[in-house]
Amino acid sequence: MLKKRTMGKVLLLAVLLLVIAGGLAIPSCSPAKGIPRGWSGVSVSDDALFLGSMEGKLVAVDKSTQQRLWPDVPFKKKQSGGFGCTQGTDAVAIYGTPAVTSELVYITGYNGKMYAVNAETGALRWVYPREDELEPIVGGPVVAGDKVYFGSSDGRLYALDAATGDEVWIFESEGKIWGTPAVNGETLYIGSFDQKLYALNVTDGSPKWQFETEGAIVATPLVYDDTVYVGSFDRYLYALSEADGSLRWKYQGSNWFWSRPLADEGIIYAGSVDGKVYALKAKNGEMVVVFDMESPVSSSPILVAGNVIVAVEAGQIYSLNINPRQKKQLVNLEDEIFASLAASDDVIYIHSADDVVYAVDARSGAILWSLELESE
Amino acid sequence: MVGEIWDLIILSPMINILIVVSSALFNNFGLSIIVLTIIVRGITTPLTLKQLRSTKALQELQPKMAELHQKYGKDKQKLAQEQMRMYKESGVNPAGCLLPMLIQLPIWISLFQSIIRVLAIVPEDFLKLSGHLYSAWPQVFSLVPLNSRFLWLDLAVPDRFLLLPILVGGTMWLQQKMVTSKAGDPKQQAQSQMMLWIMPLMFAFLTLQFPSGLALYWVVSNVISIGMQYFITGGWGGLVAQGVAKPMGRDKKYLKRITRVEQKEADYTASESDIGVDIGADIAEADMKQTKSMTPDRYQPSLRAVKRHSKKGKRPR
Repeated sequence: MLKKRTMGKVLLLAVLLLVIAGGLAIPSCSPAKGIPRGWSGVSVSDDALFLGSMEGKLVAVDKSTQQRLWPDVPFKKKQSGGFGCTQGTDAVAIYGTPAVTSELVYITGYNGKMYAVNAETGALRWVYPREDELEPIVGGPVVAGDKVYFGSSDGRLYALDAATGDEVWIFESEGKIWGTPAVNGETLYIGSFDQKLYALNVTDGSPKWQFETEGAIVATPLVYDDTVYVGSFDRYLYALSEADGSLRWKYQGSNWFWSRPLADEGIIYAGSVDGKVYALKAKNGEMVVVFDMESPVSSSPILVAGNVIVAVEAGQIYSLNINPRQKKQLVNLEDEIFASLAASDDVIYIHSADDVVYAVDARSGAILWSLELESE
Repeated sequence: MVGEIWDLIILSPMINILIVVSSALFNNFGLSIIVLTIIVRGITTPLTLKQLRSTKALQELQPKMAELHQKYGKDKQKLAQEQMRMYKESGVNPAGCLLPMLIQLPIWISLFQSIIRVLAIVPEDFLKLSGHLYSAWPQVFSLVPLNSRFLWLDLAVPDRFLLLPILVGGTMWLQQKMVTSKAGDPKQQAQSQMMLWIMPLMFAFLTLQFPSGLALYWVVSNVISIGMQYFITGGWGGLVAQGVAKPMGRDKKYLKRITRVEQKEADYTASESDIGVDIGADIAEADMKQTKSMTPDRYQPSLRAVKRHSKKGKRPR
């Protein structure tokens, strides 16, 4: 009797705690919440596409046949967690778009590792760090000269030997680095959660100048006509002198600037998560036109066949023109888009949040093909 | 739809308040969580007080409950009926003890979701945070992500030094112990003892799985509960075995009700005796002796049911 009753109460308590744990975990463990899944963009070479899948694999696809060039390369998971779901997934999330050279493909993982893979065979060339792991890496790698650069949530920017993965120099900021660096000539630009944009010497990582905003910086800077353009969480898009980081102008949006701006014919196009794309004069920041996209823009716009192509989080892809002012919907993928777009030969490549790669004709908006990356 | 309503009325306000409070408290998110806990506990104080008084009244009814178990242990239906009657007459709602805990559940869930977003733990969630920020408070856009450091803790991850699980479990045990009284029924006593340990252990385990920010809320909330219990119930309760709790304030209302119920039953019994109903009196007497030996305090067992059955010449089952 005692056992029966006691067991009943224990069972009731267990159910209550399960409800608590479930209530805490489930709203945050749905596919869209709580689990890092990644939003790697597509990198395009002459005849292949490279990207990180949401199963934590490097995928290489033949552009013309949509066949895999080699078996997907899986990356080792970080230790798993529990109910909290902050680390409780097997797949390594990949947020950065891979960087491709003729020989190697570089890819960063949320497990705090950077990998270099043979572009021909898919064989792993090197991994950094060889032992242990860094803090999660969200930004993508950039290859310039003989070095590859990337930032980490530990606040450091790493410069490695592109061929061997040996450490060349490390620069330390005071906040997480989630952005992808931009390299122009001998200078590397990187934003940090410490609200600063840094201009570093690529040879040794020494700072050339720094510019402090009033918000975190995740967006990749754009260098155009001796000016560095970067958006911040303080809702401003800044135009800074490339030489000394002095402020040329700034323009206020109504929410964060998350993605890299685009420049075309003296106009800067900056997408914001407030659901607008701001077209501003590069010289003085004067507003030319504001496109209402009706959904946050976190993916960087690209220029294809003379048109500015923008993807919004809700899944639509638009072609924008300022003269005449026109916003034309090319296609609605009905799937969320966070990844940066890529293009080649007037074809746009998109990696959607459902882990599908789409090839879309930049002129007509027709979906040429789509490829589900999820393994069966 | 449900998600949108949840975001609108619970999650977004909590996120913005946490950010603004954190900014006012030297960009310290830990202090912000503590202030939030105090606000939430302040708002739910009427419910907590009701729960505490209800718990205390339930303790007062323990001797009577023991008698009922003794008397109707084999007749579950009758036992349930009598228990309900006793609760009703004493103005005690046993389910009332659960309400404050259930009300806190949405707070825990929204706090967990807020922590994940404002501390930039998962990029997808952090990106979506932008949609929760109030444009009327422009400073919130610049203030995120918040600083996750507080004392020895990284509020974004479970405590690596295991101090927080010990604090959560320890404070919860103290709180439970204060409200646990010595039940007359050994079965109930065993159950109480088990509950005393299971809840703290389970929450300590949950603390190992969730961000420390959530566990910080639990610790502060438990400490507030301990303080309230101390002042409302007039002492350390079950922590001090011989301690006699002093009734305070509105507790007297419940105690009076219980006394009234007891008085009513005693009167009823006396009036029945006065009219000289003797059939089955030997059985009733035997029952009385047995119950008296179990409950040596002031209360005389409810004889009404016994007497009624006695009139029909049947022994109650």
